[in-house]
Amino acid sequence: MIARKVSIVDYGMGNIWSIVSALKYLGVVDVRLISNPDDIMQSDFLILPGVGSFRKGMESLINSGIDKAIIDFSTKKKGNILGICLGMHLMGSYGAEDGGTKGLGLLPNKVELFTPENLNGNKLPHVGFNSTYISEDSGIFNNLDSESDFYYTHSYRMLADDIQGRYAICKYGIEFLAAFEMDNICGTQFHPEKSQTNGLILLNNFVNKVI
Amino acid sequence: MLKKRVIFTLLYNDGSFVLSRNFRLQRVGDIRWLQKNYNFSHISFFIDELIVLDVTRGIKNEELFCEHVRLLTKESFIPIAAGGGIRSLERAKELLHSGADKVVVNTLISESPKVIEEIAIEYGRQCIVASVDVKKINNQFTVWTNNGTIKQMYDLSTWLDNINNLPIGELYLNSMDKDGTGQGYHFDLLDAIPNQFSIPVILAGGAGKHGHLSSGLDDKRVDAVATAHLFNFVGDGLERARNKLLHDNYNLAKWDVNKINEFKERLL
Repeated sequence: MIARKVSIVDYGMGNIWSIVSALKYLGVVDVRLISNPDDIMQSDFLILPGVGSFRKGMESLINSGIDKAIIDFSTKKKGNILGICLGMHLMGSYGAEDGGTKGLGLLPNKVELFTPENLNGNKLPHVGFNSTYISEDSGIFNNLDSESDFYYTHSYRMLADDIQGRYAICKYGIEFLAAFEMDNICGTQFHPEKSQTNGLILLNNFVNKVI
Repeated sequence: MLKKRVIFTLLYNDGSFVLSRNFRLQRVGDIRWLQKNYNFSHISFFIDELIVLDVTRGIKNEELFCEHVRLLTKESFIPIAAGGGIRSLERAKELLHSGADKVVVNTLISESPKVIEEIAIEYGRQCIVASVDVKKINNQFTVWTNNGTIKQMYDLSTWLDNINNLPIGELYLNSMDKDGTGQGYHFDLLDAIPNQFSIPVILAGGAGKHGHLSSGLDDKRVDAVATAHLFNFVGDGLERARNKLLHDNYNLAKWDVNKINEFKERLL
């Protein structure tokens, strides 16, 4: 049993049910879906999921006032946060989709479309399990092989420029940021809740992080 | 490197799971039966994705199907696509909120591509799988919708050209002639794919044994192979098929299935 309070931000973007199932499977007893700013500050662990458009996602966070709460949770309270897929993108500084939108800015990295040049003949979206290269066997990457397979589904990528802390890289025509852990702030481009036991191991590492 | 995928398709009909042979349905059992006899949550650790299609003819109990999707996602940590009778953004939303990661559309492609655009705006194109049912008639590949009951006036190549211009993430290319026969895939269908077609292809219809899956994976044009053959592959069939494919160095994803036991033990 894991007696930590894990909250999943429910802002209408994507499949939350699978993350709940995975956390319960790992023995997390207290899993909550939250959608208001006050609840965010009360959490031990926060997961920001999401699929879909960067702009829509950001608008949805701003309209409910969750954006500021997430920033406070991550930077002032130093709470452990994990962004998944679009959730990770939104943590960046900027998303190029639909003419460009400012992100939460928890890390300076930008999000861009895979261009035909850098796709190098690969199809878009990038869908399926892909080899993921992990910088070190510790933190959220504990107990994972340096090359591990994770499930991806996306058309935009976060650039891996100047990434600090632990990270993982994936290549699809061109390299992109697959996952990172900078102290309390973590993100995965892939879906750990859809990546069989590799994903369960990563989620288990996250919810067992030192508070 | 991006891996190829082995997908299992569950066909659902009015509260039960069914076998389909050339689109004629035969009841197999309900979800309790599936779990009891086939330990489905265990089996899901040997496939890359699951597709669940509501093929109920006539009026569908939509909430009951959502309930089944929710139950299937409970202990399966793989992507799940759900579909069958989707006609509106609202319905797509219900399935996506029941644990599905993607929706499968088929008849909608002919009836209302505008709804497909709406789903894509809301959730992105990666979340939409276009299913195309094909029958060979007089050496022509004809496209059928509405559970294989209505023949479309366009041939397969033209149909795929049209799909290539829609916001679609994947193609589920299904042979009605081979469906449920266990005789192997209909590779000729792949010849109809236009050169400029840029969407990942799932080949379906006809796989009845491990060798069929491997021959599908051997084809460069195929990104994923699917089977809906409950009897041939469920039990330890999928486990054995996957292990054989991995042993033969097929480009499939790897994970340590034994880790499940560690997580399970901790829960006890």
